[in-house]
Amino acid sequence: MILLLRRIWAFLARDWRLTVSYRMQFFLRILSILIVVTTLFFISRIFTGFADPRFVQWRDPLAAWLTGLAVLNYFMTGFSSLANAIRQEQVQGTLESVLMTPIGVPTVIVASSAWDFVQATFFSFLYLLFGWLFFDVHYRGSFLLALVFLLLTTIVLACLGILSASFAMVFKRGDPFGVFLGAGSALFSGVFFPTQLINQYAGSAVAGISRILPPTYGLDGIRRVLIEGEGFSQVREPLLTLLVFLLVLLPFSLWVFGRAVRRAKREGSLIQY
Amino acid sequence: MLDDEPNQTNSSREAESMAVTVDHVSKTYPVPFLRLKKFLRRKFKPPVEALHDVSFNICKGEIFGLIGPNGAGKTTLTKIIATLIQPTAGSAVVNGHDTVRDDEQVRLNIGLAGAEERSFYWRLTAEENLLFFARLYGLNGTHARRRIKELFDLFEFEELARRRFAELSTGNKQRLSVARAMLANPPVLLLDEPTRSLDPIAAARMRGTIQSLAQNSEQRVTIFLTSHNLTEVEELCDRVAVIGKGQIRAIDSPATLRATHTPEEKHVIKFTSLAPADAEQALRQAFSERFFTLERTPGRQQWKLMFSSETGDETLDSVLRVLQQSGAVIRSVEIERATLLDVLEGYETGKSRGD
Repeated sequence: MILLLRRIWAFLARDWRLTVSYRMQFFLRILSILIVVTTLFFISRIFTGFADPRFVQWRDPLAAWLTGLAVLNYFMTGFSSLANAIRQEQVQGTLESVLMTPIGVPTVIVASSAWDFVQATFFSFLYLLFGWLFFDVHYRGSFLLALVFLLLTTIVLACLGILSASFAMVFKRGDPFGVFLGAGSALFSGVFFPTQLINQYAGSAVAGISRILPPTYGLDGIRRVLIEGEGFSQVREPLLTLLVFLLVLLPFSLWVFGRAVRRAKREGSLIQY
Repeated sequence: MLDDEPNQTNSSREAESMAVTVDHVSKTYPVPFLRLKKFLRRKFKPPVEALHDVSFNICKGEIFGLIGPNGAGKTTLTKIIATLIQPTAGSAVVNGHDTVRDDEQVRLNIGLAGAEERSFYWRLTAEENLLFFARLYGLNGTHARRRIKELFDLFEFEELARRRFAELSTGNKQRLSVARAMLANPPVLLLDEPTRSLDPIAAARMRGTIQSLAQNSEQRVTIFLTSHNLTEVEELCDRVAVIGKGQIRAIDSPATLRATHTPEEKHVIKFTSLAPADAEQALRQAFSERFFTLERTPGRQQWKLMFSSETGDETLDSVLRVLQQSGAVIRSVEIERATLLDVLEGYETGKSRGD
């Protein structure tokens, strides 16, 4: 365990050094988050007094958007960082030298994506912080319960990320999971508008898409906790749905990943991209 | 059963003394999505057989060279030993660990220094790069820093330690690659063109380091060296394997390989103070047949005696003695032997002739 932590620490230290070697990019990202939050604040002013009583979570659209963006940022990291970890090392040409150390491919993937999670935590926090600090957005309810939702959804998405990493290892490019989850989550998971509107305008068949996306349940749960102030007993349903996703996806993704690694080693294509 | 026991003991002792055992290894790169392509009736290239039934052992503390033309299978073989590729058939064992079943144990026992510059993080310093890899080997901060300092001292790299990798010269990048391979003190080093891009002085030092690692009585490091610099291979290696089209053509010491390939060597002796007629007469008296040619060195009062003899026989010694006893002053002796390049070319052309 200590050895694993030491290795994760090695990747974190490496990525921290690489990040600070691009200081400008780091500060520009912070600035861009501030600009996005400010823009959303002004857009939210358009809807002042027009809140639809059906959409309780959207009474303050700014709070809904900020939680949506913060959580989406985290979810997408959970999903994409694992595949990116392999891909980045492949493109840089460093994967072979990393794999030459006594460290397994799964450890390489988990450890190389650790920094992405640190960054995502920081930047997601900034969305909420800027909203609270500059635009009077208030959150209530149990932060611990919201954290449970966040972690559970991230792990579920990480399972899809493992499938995506397996895909990257065998097919190199053209990952269908990325397209499905990247574009799909923003449109169907209720990041920018209530999912009920899809049903109203596009019919129940299209609205069904949002029901098969794990971020829909994660986001709904977090908003119900942070915005509506609901407790554990009221958010059991999305929590259980996420657990079912996890029970199905975790063993399946690990099985696919094992096969992909074996295949890449057999073909000698692990370091190709 | 009792009779088998000494044999078993001998074979287990033999196995213990081996650092690397490659046993009937074959590697065929499969055609990706072959079944799908067949189903869709799409054209596909036939599978590539990179290695065919390759077997050899490398003893502990031995410097073992692998030479062959481009595409002969050197990289595939190195990568199989390094656990990066799995063989289609056969097995490779490093210090008792199978490269497929015990891959992590194998990687604890080996260090690979390749010629690929991109295997480092260009925006990190040389020291930061090594620190990262040292931690992956499980070294803690203090231990890692101590080891890195030792290696920087060994490779005279201290001044460059805090420079970004991108700012290093190609030769220094190469030296850092060898230093990285040695981070965890592995008993087996896989070196691919270790002196490529080094200046002559740095190259000579690197060769010295490689030799001292193998000869070090405390930890005799086994070295598996692939190189196109055949002079270097000849200078460093105890044994050399010649590989061509995925098959091992020969394995032996460089001297034996040369002798097997070309059993003769040519000699040119330049001398003064003895008339050519006297030299000829003395040689005819000493040897039964005339096996030499004698001619004057252009523009000088010097004579040139040329002859061929079997590698390792005593003809040269006898001829020199006869000349000196007749009053000749020997000015120079040149011996023209087959080189590893001749050996390599011999195997390649032999194959092309259909041998």
